[in-house]
Amino acid sequence: MNRVSNRASAVFLLIVVLLGGLGFFLYEYCTTADQWVVSAGSPHVYNSTNIGCGQVVDRSGTMLLDLTASRVYAGDQTIRKSTLHWLGDRQGKISAPAVSHYAREMTGYDLIDGLYSYSGNAGQAVLTLSSDIQKVALEALGDRKGTIGVYNYQTGEILCAVTSPTYDPDNVPDIEGDTSGAYEGIYLNRFTQSSYVPGSIFKVVTTAAALESVADIQERTFTCTGSYAYGNDKVTCEKKHGTQSIRTALANSCNCAYAQIVELVGKENMVKYVKQFSVTEPVEFDGITTARGNYDVSDAAAVELAWSGIGQHTDLVNPCRYMTFMGAIAGGGTAAEPYLVAQVSVGEEITYTAETTMTERIMSEETAGTIRAFMRNNVEAVYGAGNFKGLTVCAKSGTSQLGGGQTSNAMFGGFVTDAEYPLAFIVVVENGGYGSSTCVPILSKVLAACKAELDK
Amino acid sequence: MEQLNQALAFFAEAKDTYVNVYFGILRYLVPALSLILLWRCFKPLLWFKREPEIWAWLYLNDGTKYAITHWENVIGRHKSSDVCIDFPTVSRNHAVLTRYDDGSWTISDANSKSGVLVNGKPVQICALEPEDVITVGGIEMTLVPITARQEQLMSQLRTKAGNGFDSVANLLFLTLLQCLFSLAFMMGGKAENFSHILMGFGGIAACQWLLLIFYALIRRSSFELETVAFFLCTLGMAVIATVDPTETVKQLIAMVIGLVTFIAVGWSLRDLERAKKVRYLATAMGIGFLVITLLFGQEYHGAKNWLLIGGFTIQPSELSKLCFVYAGASTMERIMNKRNLILFIGYSVVICGFLALMNDFGTALIFFVAFLVIAYLRSGSVGTIALACTSLGFAGVIAIKIAPHALRRFSIWRHIWEDPFNLGYQQTRAIMCIASGGLFGLGAGRGKLKNVFAADSDLAFASLSEEWGLILGILAVLCVVAIAIFAIRTAALARSSFYIIGACTAAAILLTQAILNCLGTVDVLPLTGVTFPFLSNGGSSMICAWGLLAFIKAADTRQNASFAVRLLKRRKEEPDEQSI
Repeated sequence: MNRVSNRASAVFLLIVVLLGGLGFFLYEYCTTADQWVVSAGSPHVYNSTNIGCGQVVDRSGTMLLDLTASRVYAGDQTIRKSTLHWLGDRQGKISAPAVSHYAREMTGYDLIDGLYSYSGNAGQAVLTLSSDIQKVALEALGDRKGTIGVYNYQTGEILCAVTSPTYDPDNVPDIEGDTSGAYEGIYLNRFTQSSYVPGSIFKVVTTAAALESVADIQERTFTCTGSYAYGNDKVTCEKKHGTQSIRTALANSCNCAYAQIVELVGKENMVKYVKQFSVTEPVEFDGITTARGNYDVSDAAAVELAWSGIGQHTDLVNPCRYMTFMGAIAGGGTAAEPYLVAQVSVGEEITYTAETTMTERIMSEETAGTIRAFMRNNVEAVYGAGNFKGLTVCAKSGTSQLGGGQTSNAMFGGFVTDAEYPLAFIVVVENGGYGSSTCVPILSKVLAACKAELDK
Repeated sequence: MEQLNQALAFFAEAKDTYVNVYFGILRYLVPALSLILLWRCFKPLLWFKREPEIWAWLYLNDGTKYAITHWENVIGRHKSSDVCIDFPTVSRNHAVLTRYDDGSWTISDANSKSGVLVNGKPVQICALEPEDVITVGGIEMTLVPITARQEQLMSQLRTKAGNGFDSVANLLFLTLLQCLFSLAFMMGGKAENFSHILMGFGGIAACQWLLLIFYALIRRSSFELETVAFFLCTLGMAVIATVDPTETVKQLIAMVIGLVTFIAVGWSLRDLERAKKVRYLATAMGIGFLVITLLFGQEYHGAKNWLLIGGFTIQPSELSKLCFVYAGASTMERIMNKRNLILFIGYSVVICGFLALMNDFGTALIFFVAFLVIAYLRSGSVGTIALACTSLGFAGVIAIKIAPHALRRFSIWRHIWEDPFNLGYQQTRAIMCIASGGLFGLGAGRGKLKNVFAADSDLAFASLSEEWGLILGILAVLCVVAIAIFAIRTAALARSSFYIIGACTAAAILLTQAILNCLGTVDVLPLTGVTFPFLSNGGSSMICAWGLLAFIKAADTRQNASFAVRLLKRRKEEPDEQSI
């Protein structure tokens, strides 16, 4: 009997395993529970891949999304549509990484109480967006596809970023059953997730490269006869522009002149400056990494190199990146990195506040100043300064050819130089035709709304 | 009247506020009450005074006397013998002295070199009469059983286990907890579930009080093990009330059947002769349950271990576990005979084969641990080789037969965060919900793990922690640990090795289930879909857990402690010839 009862102690081994295992888990709990809570799919924090707790408001406190009970969007239909791609949908088809990125700050998690909150106070994220501007921008874009982005290049706040097509999450249309193509790419946030053929807005990049690398570029003249030949191939313009300086060539958006400018800059310098200006690099903010652009002339023939400097060939640029590039020119060679989430708080406690970070200097102050003057000239000479009342706008339009018989994309990028309105912008209207004629009326409304917002 | 309406309206408006206040208080009150209750229960279980029962005295001719404290006693030269006679002519394990329910004694020869003589005649096994002279290795001795009067005195002198007042106080604590739980679920839940919740918690409360009254009637006073089990059932009910309130009554019925099983098993163990007979039946039933499952079973989630009977699904393999404990338990006489161990190994191999055919990995693992414990208790080091061979075969068969199902689980083990939306879905959700609950939980009905498959069974530990806090989850684990420690401690005092093996195996099975369930949920071990004893939703598992508890009760020889241990008979006082 003694023998058997002594052997009973073997069962202690199982107790050791149980308590040891539990102890190991508790150790893991103490060290990593804060990460578990906000891991992908956490039931109390996310709704599929999107944030599922707290509230999201715009810069003036307008409720955009209330997740405290269920998923309630803004009261206004246009606001719902214009902010959907930043908030995510109910089904998880549109993912909104920016707000989810601050899940940890939103939840107010702590090791003792978990996600329990006595006051019932949910976390609140304040976006830099203005729902008023979003509304104006989406209405101005109408049912055309494209994107509009405006940000403050001194602070980095994104005031406006709409993407179209979009839909009302409270009245979801029959997207799957649609055959008209109206909802094509509807789940895509074109501002961050797309890259477009830039067309002539890329001439700003070429101009900057020329100013930095060709010493006497401003003294030179370029003659346009309507086409510029490379053997059997040629670069063409819609009309003969005659003899121009680089300044007038930019205002005329003269392809033939720019073919010659690209020759002067050379392939190596083009590649070097595109890299230096980070034009094809993704922008990273609030957990978002935007689409990458493209500039590849490694196998390009002379004519293809020329087209690459005019924003065609295989060039691609992400709208958010181009907007930041515009900001850098406006800011004298460097600009604030854009961001979307201004502040996160739980109850009285502020858990996150955005800080302005500046991009690296991408060009000299002098080059930036020269391009600013050129782009101001574009507005005064071509686009019409009267379209932007009370604002000193500098811009460049683009009409990017897509091939395959498609109508060109209308592109428009630029900035405002007034000290009170440090805004850089990008407008893309897919298949919108001519850059300036399509985009200027849209931008005129959006910038007026931005001005009104900053005047508040 | 108007004032009353106003008051009612005021309360209706303020509903959210008082629900929040109640939940805010409850999250500390529940762990605090649980801690007090469990502390009160654990204390006597873990620190009871070990007072052996004395059944007889063995007088040697040189004048020394030995107290015989068990019903089965090995006489031998070996240090761990119950009666250790260090004399060269005595074999290491020489003879076994055995007492029977009726108070009679036998001596049997345990393959000794020099044999056992009773009144000068060599015997293999011999019933002892008073005054018989036993000769072991040339040493003469006489066995003098204690008299009825001595028995009575002993029972008066030994400390009584527990007292009625403590048991009632503990149950009042538990009932208060049950009230708090029901109220919380009714505040936080839908009106149509009120009756389910009330019946669930109320049913447990009714059962616990009825059992206590039954114990009082049969003069048994130790109620700590039962209180701990009812506490776990209550937590389980809290998990079911949030995951699927319509299942509460089903679980309650299972618990009632469990209690009946508890009493039936306890009754069968009360009388060792009866227990030995039931053992044969149970051994046959153990195989029978598995055969029936194999023939008529349904396959759910990869394992063919479900039987559908009139709308109810049962898992006969759970009941097989109970039978396996019967089959493994054995008296000393049989332990001394190696042939019996070999038979048991054979039996285990057959069981293992059936489980392999059923693809039930979790249950196979539990049987394996139970087998190891039984084999070790019975053989010590002697059977090591046989043990190792069998374990290897056991593991091999499991690995090969259950490969696709098990491999999938093993492949994700410790890698759940790499695939949180597919293979690691259950565990990542469970762990995230545990973390979301913190130490004190989110409150009744506020969990979200309920949307995940098996939230109230395989993931019961996580569901509990999510709504009631990690502290309560840990307490649930400690409950099982306390039961097991008690089983180990009390085993030393059991009357027969049959009870020691029974209690230790039962404890080992409860522990293994807790290990696989709790540690599987939190990815310390692979998730095997095993239930947490008393806590998880599952009728068969509940019945099995109560049945196992009866085995532990049967080893508890503290005075007036257990219904599964017979009190000394209140015989008519015989004329007492010997002085005390």
